[in-house]
Amino acid sequence: MDESELIKGIQQGDNKAFRLLVETYQRMVVNTCFGIVHSTADAEDLAQDVFLEIFRTAGNFRGDSKISTWLYRIATNRSLNFVRNKKRKGFFQSLEETFTSGRNQNSEISENRGDQPDQNITDQQRSDLLHRAIDQLPEKQRIAFTLNKYEELPYQQIAEIMEISLASVESLIHRAKKNLQEQLLDCYKKKCV
Amino acid sequence: MVSYIKSNKMKHESIHNDLIFYIDNELSVEKRIAVEKHLEECADCRSFLVFLQEGMQIIEKEKNPEVSPFFYTRLSARLEEKPEYQAQSQWARLAQPAFFSIILLLGIYGGLRLGSNASFPKANPPATSSVQLLNDFEAEPIESFLLNEL
Repeated sequence: MDESELIKGIQQGDNKAFRLLVETYQRMVVNTCFGIVHSTADAEDLAQDVFLEIFRTAGNFRGDSKISTWLYRIATNRSLNFVRNKKRKGFFQSLEETFTSGRNQNSEISENRGDQPDQNITDQQRSDLLHRAIDQLPEKQRIAFTLNKYEELPYQQIAEIMEISLASVESLIHRAKKNLQEQLLDCYKKKCV
Repeated sequence: MVSYIKSNKMKHESIHNDLIFYIDNELSVEKRIAVEKHLEECADCRSFLVFLQEGMQIIEKEKNPEVSPFFYTRLSARLEEKPEYQAQSQWARLAQPAFFSIILLLGIYGGLRLGSNASFPKANPPATSSVQLLNDFEAEPIESFLLNEL
């Protein structure tokens, strides 16, 4: 079944076509969301939202671009919205924790880490550090970097997804790498891992 | 190349700026040679290179997470729930502003009613009238006062 048949099937409410679409692209969508939200559970929830949106709006798909391009756009937009909302909630939560149980929670985390082998601690710390560094990138740099590194997409395809020129993608990824390196260098100097 | 290769004089900063591109094989041949030459001599840069490589390898380790085998089952369950949820949220979207608008209008109406029924105390007579009573010139004109003096 080719892409146009798949979309036609979904537009007509064919569950088999929808299931085929989900099974073909679920790994790709979850991985893209994961690159931005850094949590498997959240990435799966977001991927489900993406497919629900596809199911509801299949009638609007004109077929100008590939299904994967459409899915990448929705996945990145939804993931960025999720991160924005989480930041907003996190701000108020951190205020609350400052005045209530913030100290207790910190001590719990360090106790839990004490039970893990050393290698896992270092991997976890490295992972946290990298995620923090990626989260601090401007949104466009983050999307371009995630699509390139997590999905291994070529610059031309990233340009189509983001609807920008190839030169802009090159520039975004170059700046993203520089910014990441700066943040990792800063951490290296402070010996934070 | 000569300006770039002065390896002994190369600062850590300039090497540090290129290391992420060195890892990704994105440096020109001459820059790559210069970086490798510097790395042979500089332990700190080698140490940062390892730190950077380990950090970037995290992406390789964590990408393509395993998707739950119940992904589609959960999704189809949500698909069935969706219309009810949507109808509910649409109703809530309309009801909430309507409810607050009614409360606001009731508040304004109540305020106006209270305002129109309120009885204000009569305004004090102008201060000039009490001053007039104390006006000696009016009670006793200056002409008669002067005549009395004479």
